[in-house]
Amino acid sequence: MSSTVEKVRNIGISAHIDSGKTTLTERILFYTKRIHAIHDVKGKDGVGATMDSMELEKERGITIASAATFCEWQGHEINIIDTPGHVDFTIEVERSLRVLDGAVLVLCSVGGVQSQSITVDMQMKRYKVPCIAFINKCDRSGADPARVIAQLHSKLGHNAVAMQMPIGLEADFRGVIDLLSMKAFYFEGENGEQVRSDEIPAELLAAARSKREEMIDAASLFSDELTEAILEESSIPDALIIDAVRKGTLLRKFTPVFLGSAYKNKGVQPLLDAVNQYLPCPADVENTALDLDHEEALVYLLPDSSLPIVALAFKLEDGTYGQLTYVRVYQGTLAKGAVIVNTRTGKKTKVGRVVRMHADQMEDIEAAAAGYIAALFGIECASGDTFVSPGLNLTMTSMFVPKPVISLAIFPKDNKSQINMSKALNRFTKEDPTFRTHVDDETNETIIEGMGELHLEIYVERMKREYGTDVDTGKPRVAYRETITQRAEFNYTHKKQTGGSGQYGRVAGYMEPITEGDEDFIFDNQVRGGSIPTQYIAACEKGFLQCLAKGPKMEFPVTGVKIVINDGASHAVDSSDMAFQAAARGAFREGYAKARSVIHEPIMKVVVETPTEFQGGVMGLLNQRRGMIVGAQDEGPMTVVEAQVPLGEMFGFSTVLRSSTQGKAQFTMEFALYRQIPQSIAEKIAEEFALRKKSAA
Amino acid sequence: MLKKELILRNPLRQLGFETEDILPAGAIGAVLSHAGVGKTALLVQLALNGMLRSRNVLHISLNDPVNKVNLWYNELFHHLAGRYEGAQINSLWESVLPHRFIMTFRVESFTVPKLEERLSDLTEQGIFSPVMMIIDGLHFDESRRSDLNDLKALAAKNGIHIWFTVRTHRHESSGSDGLPVSFSAVAGLFDLVLELQPEHADVHIKLLRGSGSTPVGSPLLLDPSTMLIKDKEL
Repeated sequence: MSSTVEKVRNIGISAHIDSGKTTLTERILFYTKRIHAIHDVKGKDGVGATMDSMELEKERGITIASAATFCEWQGHEINIIDTPGHVDFTIEVERSLRVLDGAVLVLCSVGGVQSQSITVDMQMKRYKVPCIAFINKCDRSGADPARVIAQLHSKLGHNAVAMQMPIGLEADFRGVIDLLSMKAFYFEGENGEQVRSDEIPAELLAAARSKREEMIDAASLFSDELTEAILEESSIPDALIIDAVRKGTLLRKFTPVFLGSAYKNKGVQPLLDAVNQYLPCPADVENTALDLDHEEALVYLLPDSSLPIVALAFKLEDGTYGQLTYVRVYQGTLAKGAVIVNTRTGKKTKVGRVVRMHADQMEDIEAAAAGYIAALFGIECASGDTFVSPGLNLTMTSMFVPKPVISLAIFPKDNKSQINMSKALNRFTKEDPTFRTHVDDETNETIIEGMGELHLEIYVERMKREYGTDVDTGKPRVAYRETITQRAEFNYTHKKQTGGSGQYGRVAGYMEPITEGDEDFIFDNQVRGGSIPTQYIAACEKGFLQCLAKGPKMEFPVTGVKIVINDGASHAVDSSDMAFQAAARGAFREGYAKARSVIHEPIMKVVVETPTEFQGGVMGLLNQRRGMIVGAQDEGPMTVVEAQVPLGEMFGFSTVLRSSTQGKAQFTMEFALYRQIPQSIAEKIAEEFALRKKSAA
Repeated sequence: MLKKELILRNPLRQLGFETEDILPAGAIGAVLSHAGVGKTALLVQLALNGMLRSRNVLHISLNDPVNKVNLWYNELFHHLAGRYEGAQINSLWESVLPHRFIMTFRVESFTVPKLEERLSDLTEQGIFSPVMMIIDGLHFDESRRSDLNDLKALAAKNGIHIWFTVRTHRHESSGSDGLPVSFSAVAGLFDLVLELQPEHADVHIKLLRGSGSTPVGSPLLLDPSTMLIKDKEL
């Protein structure tokens, strides 16, 4: 490993579906001599790109799980996490961005800024990750890097500045002009491994000079020295420009843009130079933790290998030799034999093997220093756990985890499948917090929950391939919720005093809708004078929580409710925790019946990119699905239609879209908000609920 | 009720026109000013007023993407409804949103036949039938005359009224009618022309050309801090 953290880069490659991330990573590994042959993502040689290690990834041509690898370029160690573009796998991107210091945003020179690029950009903003942009596929028909740069401005609000100019485009794409050195670069050799520099073609010189001026002008905002040099009209050293661009990039106020075609082996090496020059090293990024011994006071972590260890487990994988835990070390040195403590569980462990990952191959190392990403064996933990040296009690901020919006019942076909299915579910749920499973109390069905149809489809497929589990699936179910719309009082007495040990508890108060903030439940104890003894208050809250899990209306989770208790009564002998839990449940049902409850359904933000000729049809499809179209954006040959559509109406949409647009349109879908369902749908759901209850009985 | 109060508070009523919509079906109006003074803000408020009265508004932008236009509406609506409770505002916002449709085009590829085709896509499928249209970002000069005629015909055919934003330039001289010379060439096609004039800390909304009665009461202003229309006395 590199001895100085200044020469380390932990980066992610993020983008929309099919922008070419995996191909780009493959080329990076090749040029850094990490691999010795290039395989196309959907290659005829049947091998597939190095980073797509799962069979399913290779077959579908999409990247599913994030894979980590490292390489070296010009004296720098670059750790790369390749991340998926499908919105259904957002948790993987979230996790990667949490632990990385910088990112390369890959954009297609034809498609430009697409819907998932916008989601990924928001994720990068959330974790304050500086990025550089790479406009890929400049060899494609319709390539228009200038348009993509304009979109970076208009759609993502980036101060995107071209650092290169293309030499030719589409089939004529031959190389790039570097605006810093004012040289043309061509990529020769069988795989573009030889970079030849030459004079800028005469016909492009004027444009290059103009673009260079724009670039320097934009960079000068971050450097007084550069500004002075411009004003004095003196020659400007490259180092001064690089320094200014780097400053702007680290502040996330400047996005350097590079061009190329990974598939045609052009533009990758200069991108690597840019990663070294402009993206942060671990020391450039401020990382904090919370001190649990001092009321979660903020603590700044230093990437100093001599300090006590602080590391975050961000990915778990169940491999042949047991669980593999990917960690990012923020402070200290995680060495073989070191003793570490899991802050969440308090459990102490001695570190066994420490490995460095290269997609699905491992390399044993002695230690991982601060700023590095490594993997550990034999550590029992959950994704998001913090590991520290004994004596520290710090926790890194939890990663933001979106709640599942869709569920589906799965039925194993035979007994062997049942056993393997349990193993599979156990593993998948540990690896992915947005994938959950439970057994339905009434129907005894195994239910899996996730972020979208594709998300669940992939896990069902993985169960089949990796665990030999054949399952049937039921109809996907939408995660409806119940809530109340008005304040309602309750005053409920739970009494069983017919002989022997009795039960007694009275709970009075009111419930009302939560109007501000996103909280699901607020419990406010306003009992005075001990009318409910203090020791039973927690039992009251517990009773209310039990009711929230399955609402009285249709057994959907209840959210957005504030419950205030302000009175009650107890009995010296017959009151107990159980009694007050029961009283609280009764009080909840009483209040709920008067609180005008309604059902909410998840509404998805659906973005469809379609050739303009099919725009009308697409809008019709969305409209038929109770979609509310927010707008239609003209993007030349393509139109982007954005709509809000209930999740319950989206099943099977991809098939219908494909057939209506000759397979030329694509869409993304992500959760937007919960909204009250129309009366007609409420009645339909009530009927289905009644039917389900009847058949369960 | 919040909706009713917001409609009643609408100071546009003081522009003194016969109908709440100011422009009748088939008519076209323009809002003129230099860049950044508040043309879009004014028209968004007219649109919000329409949406609150359950009128469908088609907002066409030749400058900005859908998200940015949406942001305008969001910001101005929340400013307008500012002093009410969060849940009430959100609930009202959700109920008026279906009355708005945003369409964006590139300036260079915008044509009236294209717009007509897009509009038919919406109306024929019963997806959205606007009564008000805003076209933000079209450049004006004599060469636009036939486009404006076509748009007027489109408006009349579909029972829509259309508002345009017209960017004027400081270096441009005004004609005797107070209108910028470049706009004068097509001004005759407009049924109503408003101008936003910054004067000290305020932005005055002035009627340069219009049919109907003379506006009653004090002139209207645009508050530069919120971009909301306000009465002069406030």
